Amino acid sequence: MKIEIYDPAMCCSSGLCGPAIDPVLVKVNDAIIWLKKQDVEVERFNLAQQTKLFVANKTVADLLHKNGKKILPITLMNGAVLKTGGYPTYEELCAALGIEPLMTKPIMLHVG
Amino acid sequence: MTQYLFFSGKGGVGKTTMATATSIHHAVRGKKTLIVTTDPASNLADVFEQEIGHKITPINGVPNLWAMEIDSDVATKEYKERIIGPFREVMPEDVIASLEENLSGPCTTEMASFDRFIDFMEGNEYDIIVFDTAPTGHTIRLLELPVDWSKHIEQSAKGSGQTCLGPVQTIQDSKEKYDRATALLKDSARTTFIFVMRPEALSLYETLRASKELETIGIKSGQIIINGIFPVEVCEVAFFKKKYESQQQVIKETKEAIQKPIQYMLLRDNEVKGLLGLSDVALELFDGSRPSATSETGVLMLREAAVAHPDTDKLFLPDPGKGTKAIFFTGKGGVGKTSISCVAAVHIANKGFKTLIVTTDPAAHLGEVFGVRVGSEPARIMDNLFAVMIDQEQAFKEYKERTLAEARGKYSEDMVAAMEEELNSPCTEEMAAFDKFVRFIEGKEYDVVVFDTAPTGHTLRLLDLPFDYAKQVELMVSTNDSKGVKTETQNRFREIISLLRDRDRAVFSFVLYPESTPMMESYRAMLDLKKAGIETQLIVANLVLPEEVCVKDFFRNRRRMQMKYLKVINEKFGLPVLRFPMMQEEISGLERLKQAARLVL
Repeated sequence: MKIEIYDPAMCCSSGLCGPAIDPVLVKVNDAIIWLKKQDVEVERFNLAQQTKLFVANKTVADLLHKNGKKILPITLMNGAVLKTGGYPTYEELCAALGIEPLMTKPIMLHVG
Repeated sequence: MTQYLFFSGKGGVGKTTMATATSIHHAVRGKKTLIVTTDPASNLADVFEQEIGHKITPINGVPNLWAMEIDSDVATKEYKERIIGPFREVMPEDVIASLEENLSGPCTTEMASFDRFIDFMEGNEYDIIVFDTAPTGHTIRLLELPVDWSKHIEQSAKGSGQTCLGPVQTIQDSKEKYDRATALLKDSARTTFIFVMRPEALSLYETLRASKELETIGIKSGQIIINGIFPVEVCEVAFFKKKYESQQQVIKETKEAIQKPIQYMLLRDNEVKGLLGLSDVALELFDGSRPSATSETGVLMLREAAVAHPDTDKLFLPDPGKGTKAIFFTGKGGVGKTSISCVAAVHIANKGFKTLIVTTDPAAHLGEVFGVRVGSEPARIMDNLFAVMIDQEQAFKEYKERTLAEARGKYSEDMVAAMEEELNSPCTEEMAAFDKFVRFIEGKEYDVVVFDTAPTGHTLRLLDLPFDYAKQVELMVSTNDSKGVKTETQNRFREIISLLRDRDRAVFSFVLYPESTPMMESYRAMLDLKKAGIETQLIVANLVLPEEVCVKDFFRNRRRMQMKYLKVINEKFGLPVLRFPMMQEEISGLERLKQAARLVL
């Protein structure tokens, strides 16, 4: 099982490079950490830093061509489009992957 | 094998003159020589009296000599195009625009200039490459970058695979290049660092600091040039005699403190310009021939332009009800910004306004001037006067700790670990320093905040940051969750920008010597500020020779040169000019500061 997230152009993947932390990006990063614990392969690509890969993936390149950058972020599951124009939540990802969400996260998020 | 010579030292100490004279010396001896400047406020063109610009240009009249001014704007553009170019055909326009915007942050500028600079250290086309580097603080950062960067690249490759510095693929491609550059910088058989200083206590202090800092990153080579020494035969008047003695004392201390070869350079009665002047300097530097004490050039007698003392109180004192007033003293490093900021701050505090003086200079010496330890928390100097130093490294640590502390209560350990890694980037460092800097203006605690800013190029970048930040903030993914954070940050920066543009609330002053090069540099910097919507309001001409002490031809000539430039400055800038006389002794300690404030303001 494999999740790929194609991010818009950002300074850093976690959103920490800006003068204020974007809670949405923190949540995404958190979801990725939990999925990895559950042996799901997760890869993230930043438009500003790995532009080549946005061109190399036909699905992503086509979506971008048709819609422009507002289509980002794009989330793919096993190569097929799962969500566009926004990030999926941890629960959404679990449901799509058919796995049980971890019930006992050591520290819950207070944001969002 | 190409030899590399790096000229280090604060701006205004004569680095460019020494570097150009050195390159002429080698070129006329048949060595194929290139002189490169990475200083954002470069003045090679002024010194050689010909257009140079962002390309390798042969110097008229000197065989074997080429010069280039690295223009950080052009370098950035070229660097960006190298990254974005391949995608122009295959990506929609708005994606290209967003890529371009993303690459417009401070990291990219820094990266691009550095990248260009390193290119000169590949290849073997020249026998000698002379780097007329940027002022001390900037130089140190620039030279430390390869170390930080290769560390950063290794770390990021292990972790998220992403860095703050642009496309990770591009950086990986360059990693070997950076490592090669670092190795070369440390190879004392091929690279020499030449520290230029003036025979003054502060200059010695800074030189020691700079050379120690380089040593800690493994660069041990070095030579010293002490520039601007008063010739003994022209120092009969008590005023200059005393200065001469204090210079000789510093020279003695330098010999004791630094175990490196030292070259000496006498002060001239006129500015060094053009090939003739430079060749004369080269002769003194390498053959020890003394310049004639007085030249034929300064004989044109100019009547002193009528001087109206500018209304400094109107500029420096706050308007009631208008909030905190910010006063900036900017200009090339070494022109006396710190001393003048201190004098102004003492004056304002004496008038009963609660004043804070802030230094952002990485080679800060505020503490030296006040004779009090100045740290990262405002310290009381006297009634109504406080001083603080923004230490970039310290600010970075605090910023990182604050962010992590906030995150610790909120997020999982893994998340905090991920954040910690992302925070170790040069961008965060810049941000942290700026954040500090802004806080002192925002706080309502002081009536007036006086900034003894960093050298010109650095200052401009620092002041440019709000604009970059505003752009960076727009890049955040726009969703309902993050709108609150976004708006708050954007409003904050908008407010700062409008404050900096408000003539009643922020005063920008340029400090310079009444000489050609500092004048031209300040003029360019002023235009740059203007582009950002900021109007300069005052020029401070420092080290003006008092007429009554100029009885010898040598000093009369020098004073005539100064008067000539004061007149030009009046016409060129169209701004009030405050003349700050050369003082018999260095301005340090509260009593001297108060005395200077009474005398000048």
